[in-house]
Amino acid sequence: MTPSVDNETLVKNPIKLLQIYKDSGVNVMGYTCSYIPEELIISAGFQPFRIPNYGSTFSSLTPTFICQFARTTLENILKLEEFFSGFVFAHTCDPMWRLYDIIKKKVGKPVFFIRVPHNTDGILQISFLKQELLRFKDFLAENLGAKIDFEALLKAIKICNENRSLLKEIYLRNGDGAFGVNGLDRLKFAIASMWMPKEEVNAQIKTFLSKIGDVKENYVRLHINGTAIFDLELIKMIEDVGCFIASDDLCTGSRYFWDNVANVHQDPFYALAERYLQRTPCPSHGPLQKRLAYIESMVEKFRVKGVLILTQRFCDPILYDSVHVRDMLSKKQVPTMLIDYENFEQEAGRIKARVEAFVESIGG
Amino acid sequence: MSERKGRSRVLQATKKIGELILEYFAKASDHKARGKPVAWVTVFTPVELLHALSVFPVAPEHFGAMCSARNFIMEYLEEAEKRGYSQNLCSYSRCCLGYALSGMSGLMPPPDILITFRNSCDVYVKWWQSLQAHLGTPLFVGEAPYVLAPEDLENYVLDYVVKQLMDLIEIVEEKFKLKFDEEKLVEAVKLSDKASELWLEALKLRSNKPCPLGGRDSASDIFPLVIMQGTVEAVQFYEELLREVRGKVEKREGVIENEKYRLLFDGIWLWYAFDLIKYFEDKGAVFVYEPYSEAWAYRLDASKPLESVAKKVLAMGLNMDIDLRVEKFLKSIKEFDIDGAVLFSNRSCKSWSAPQLVTAEIIGSKYDVPYLIFEADMADPRQYAEAQIKNRIDAFIEVLRERSCTRE
Repeated sequence: MTPSVDNETLVKNPIKLLQIYKDSGVNVMGYTCSYIPEELIISAGFQPFRIPNYGSTFSSLTPTFICQFARTTLENILKLEEFFSGFVFAHTCDPMWRLYDIIKKKVGKPVFFIRVPHNTDGILQISFLKQELLRFKDFLAENLGAKIDFEALLKAIKICNENRSLLKEIYLRNGDGAFGVNGLDRLKFAIASMWMPKEEVNAQIKTFLSKIGDVKENYVRLHINGTAIFDLELIKMIEDVGCFIASDDLCTGSRYFWDNVANVHQDPFYALAERYLQRTPCPSHGPLQKRLAYIESMVEKFRVKGVLILTQRFCDPILYDSVHVRDMLSKKQVPTMLIDYENFEQEAGRIKARVEAFVESIGG
Repeated sequence: MSERKGRSRVLQATKKIGELILEYFAKASDHKARGKPVAWVTVFTPVELLHALSVFPVAPEHFGAMCSARNFIMEYLEEAEKRGYSQNLCSYSRCCLGYALSGMSGLMPPPDILITFRNSCDVYVKWWQSLQAHLGTPLFVGEAPYVLAPEDLENYVLDYVVKQLMDLIEIVEEKFKLKFDEEKLVEAVKLSDKASELWLEALKLRSNKPCPLGGRDSASDIFPLVIMQGTVEAVQFYEELLREVRGKVEKREGVIENEKYRLLFDGIWLWYAFDLIKYFEDKGAVFVYEPYSEAWAYRLDASKPLESVAKKVLAMGLNMDIDLRVEKFLKSIKEFDIDGAVLFSNRSCKSWSAPQLVTAEIIGSKYDVPYLIFEADMADPRQYAEAQIKNRIDAFIEVLRERSCTRE
């Protein structure tokens, strides 16, 4: 079954899609993080659906100094539990780790936790993650009766690789200073890829790629550094003040799709572990230098004039990294601005004023 | 012997902690001066291995607590904030980064290597990476995966930690041209185990009425287990402490004269506000159990030193599944006959604070134990709203009083 929802409608109202899945008898597995292999969820016969921080209702089950992303994700899981067969979490940062604890005590559906090594460097770590993925496979079989066979897994890896390649292709249209696809359109497809059947979203991306024309030029090219952004209005607002988001290292952006799974036929579980551990790193994982090098390469490749660091207030990994991201970029004479926010809807005016000032200061 | 402080008593052993800390830092500086390496470690790093490598471990978390307790933390916090570290980040880390950025001329000697094992929080990794970026010192990041079922610990999890410990040994040997001494490891493991045994025994005696060892003691007396594990001095300290606590039990001498309410405290203590413990005690309330005090003790098996140390790294309280943490809470309520729970929602420690309300709800529903949650920071005094917190404590004590009247 492939529910037909255009991604414009989808990203504004993901619950509509969940309802379609429910009405059509599609089993949906909720997941919280781009370190969770969608391939395993798909090959077990589930539709993966990344839980967004959609809406602005924070859970009161955690203190106010836990980031908005975790609190809203928690609230959404509790509200939308009926649409899901189960949930899978990954160990990234403290709040997402503890979300697993809370959800385990608060929902009736099966809940799984993948312990993703924070040190992503070596074979030891990849082998450990492989064991975790095998444990996830067993969990799916034991708790949901979902068996993963070899062929189904290879097929899922192939379709996810295709999806990632297509998303990257859209992205690369902005390479070397081109004004190919703006941040808003790119984000819509990335989010749709986390919610819709891959076949369908892949077809939509191919159609889109065949129709790309020139977009606005002479706008200030920016790179966005941050975590997971599901709020399209935020991206739209930035681009409406005269910017072109040429690149990003967001969890809902390039970090989600930049790297593919390779060497699948030798040992697909090891191949998955290798891809997910050694992918473009999240601020919570891997060596800081690898992350800085990635941001530096994006800034150069996409010829941006400035970098906006967008962080959820109380997001520890981004707040630590921001000091070093700024150090690195200031040596390259790339201006940066850090904007932390808790509730975009309530803080839109302040954020807009800061972005406008930043764009003016760098010659927009 | 005990000394009256107002209506509260503090152990003689507790009074020696300050001196022990200064001696400890002096030894660290001396070690460094003799050309031997000093490691900055996060507190649940297996220091027994470092003893076997002649590397001196220093814990910046402990340094942060000390700076806060002695009221000179602000200069370091401000230094870090000036450099761009947000006030919303862990105050221990800000203190340490501020110290590192301002020349490291205080008690804590500069590090030759930075070692962390991610177990109690993920901030460790970011903090240690930041230190490395500023200091250029070699960095080792280890990982103790979240323990989901300790009674059924997966072999691959234990193997993973053991192999990382072996990696650490190899890296240190190579970098500093040192030789790992297995006999020294066994000796350090035995000493750590002994210190843990003694401390656990002392904590157990708090089930006596009146309680012989209060919150002020437990907050300070963990220090030798925080960083001096594997040393003779730590064992001597706890032997002396246990003797004193046993003596108090025999004499039925409590922390306060008229013990009315026995409380559980969940969290790290507010190091700049020890007077808050006295505030409780003045109202007849004594802290008799803290998961934090217990977390530092772990029984080791010297016949399997490396495996045993690996299990210790894994078993850090916050690294254990929530069901186990809740089970410990519930057990302690019975064992220590607890009347109420005080949960400190610590802005610096998201790992600890995030699920606290859910834990409190379970305690409340299972045992009908009232609880108080208050928010502040463990080391940054700017986040402490004293009047508001005391107001909430007053209301909480009222609840306890009414409940005790009803029971009578």
